[in-house]
Amino acid sequence: MAQTLYQFVNMIVVYLLNWWGPYWPTLSPYGAFWAVWISYVIVGLIVVLGSLFNVIVLIWWERKLIGRFMDRRGAMHVGFAGIFQNFADGFKLFRKQPFSPKDADQVGYYFAPAAYMVVSLLILGFLPISFGFFGGSVPLSLLLALALFSFAPLFIFIAAWSSNNKYSLIGGMRTAAQLVAYEIPLLLAIVAVVALTGTFDLSAIVQDQANYGWFAVPLILGLIVFFVAMLAEVERIPFDLPEAEAELVEGWNTEIGGMLFAFTMFTDYVRALVGCYLIVLLFLGGWSMPAAIASFPLAGIIWFQVKTYFVFSIFIWVRAALPRVRTDQLLQVGWKRLLPLSMVNIVWAVALVVLGWPHLHWPGGW
Amino acid sequence: MAVSTEKKSKESTGPTGFAGLVLYPMFTAGRQLLRSLWRPSTIIYPSEERLEAPKMRAKVRVASGAPIGVGEIWDNYRGVHALNIRTCISCNLCMFSCPDMCIEMVSTKSPDGKTKKCPQIDYGKCSFCGFCSDACPESCLTMTPDYTITASSRKNMIYSPEQLGEVYKAKLPMNPTRMAVPKNEDNILLDQDLCIGCNACARDCPTKCITMIDIPKPTPKPGEKIAKRIWKEPSVNDAECVRCGTCISVCPKDCLYWGKHK
Repeated sequence: MAQTLYQFVNMIVVYLLNWWGPYWPTLSPYGAFWAVWISYVIVGLIVVLGSLFNVIVLIWWERKLIGRFMDRRGAMHVGFAGIFQNFADGFKLFRKQPFSPKDADQVGYYFAPAAYMVVSLLILGFLPISFGFFGGSVPLSLLLALALFSFAPLFIFIAAWSSNNKYSLIGGMRTAAQLVAYEIPLLLAIVAVVALTGTFDLSAIVQDQANYGWFAVPLILGLIVFFVAMLAEVERIPFDLPEAEAELVEGWNTEIGGMLFAFTMFTDYVRALVGCYLIVLLFLGGWSMPAAIASFPLAGIIWFQVKTYFVFSIFIWVRAALPRVRTDQLLQVGWKRLLPLSMVNIVWAVALVVLGWPHLHWPGGW
Repeated sequence: MAVSTEKKSKESTGPTGFAGLVLYPMFTAGRQLLRSLWRPSTIIYPSEERLEAPKMRAKVRVASGAPIGVGEIWDNYRGVHALNIRTCISCNLCMFSCPDMCIEMVSTKSPDGKTKKCPQIDYGKCSFCGFCSDACPESCLTMTPDYTITASSRKNMIYSPEQLGEVYKAKLPMNPTRMAVPKNEDNILLDQDLCIGCNACARDCPTKCITMIDIPKPTPKPGEKIAKRIWKEPSVNDAECVRCGTCISVCPKDCLYWGKHK
């Protein structure tokens, strides 16, 4: 029986190749070789296309929910309740002529948004969505995902600088300042989780939560710090200074148009999805739910998505309620509030470990 | 440091603190979400029309400060015209009064079987000034609160008299100020020296209130030439006249004019 997505795909591919083998003699001697690589490609396609579809539905969900928050309806004409509106928007951007500003640095202008998207999509390969459902499982998957996650400001800054536009440059500067500032509380909040679990493997972290309860309960402080830092990391309101429409035209992607703009906009939501995934994986128990309500086919994937959309709905709620902060307020919150709070959270987590988490006892007896 | 704190205390007039800046806005937004979860306030206009038929709203109440609500309009709103074909007298006054020249008189079949000329309005040109309905002496051309004029081509923006008649049959609330008949106290007067008795005025009078009466042909003195004309003169029945001025506009000799009887 297949334990992971790769094994499941490989099983089907091997079966099909065996079935086709006699009729396709050139393939059969290399059957095992082809089976491995075809399986890799199919797993990659499943993960990437599934995530792309999820991101598009996520954008639809945001448009609908933010509409309700503003006492109006979101997209509603293309498809049922406007579900195909994003496809229509994407198609419109896809048909646009690619262009670049005359004075832009062509290499950076075209390379940086593409790299921004690729790096962000790459994270999705290491995030398990359900038990065994991942692109690739490595022991340090959490560390790897966050390392890839922190690549973004570099490429954003390259894109902003290459555009040769003052608004882009200011947006890029703000991105660099903001993302670097909030990277630290983000990672320190994760340190507490790692201290409790003793592993960087996301599957193991989720398994730990399935066994001993979600970390949202003991590490509520860490959850809050991680949530706020993640809001800033994915550049969402109230921390959307890099693309403050009122001050900078469209921030660091002012000069980017057509399909490239679709990529950057899409990648923003990919990163929001990754942020939601990480919050669910680290603090809300991942795909683990009590067996009474999770004993049906694909329960892990479905519950994981339900939790993801719940977290994203809170993102939207924050967006609907709060205004954009100033740069000094942003940095103040990051350095003066979140950093001490994450330190307190680490101390609390270490104290829990010393007390023998998950089976708490007073060392040396009461 | 002291200066900055003093400045802050002066400036701090709005909500402050975590509760005021984060929790209260979140609560407000969540309350709004719960309110509009089932049905937001927006009306899906083309597919949903209005929640109910538009109610007329007296201008007096609006002037007193009461706001216009959803589906309520002022009683002097100028929208699509309604035409009562049966009472139209084909006087052309609407056409003459139109500043945009969007009205054309086209022959129409009246419900009582007669064929007559009635106004056809091009809404692509119409500026909704209401002069036509002001000028209408029979108040058969009025304006309704209906503002839904949409068409896929310019040709479809032209409303024929029959279409305007359909608007009339829809029994929309009529615009009372536009219903008022203009009060013209003047009468049609005749310059007898210029008249040639051509019958044009009597022929084109929409209410047939002009009759041509015989006048005595003067006996010329020897050597004197008398005017070559038909020895008839228009006589206007002022009670039936609607003051449309058609006779004045059709007169070839400009012998009819507005004035008061002496």
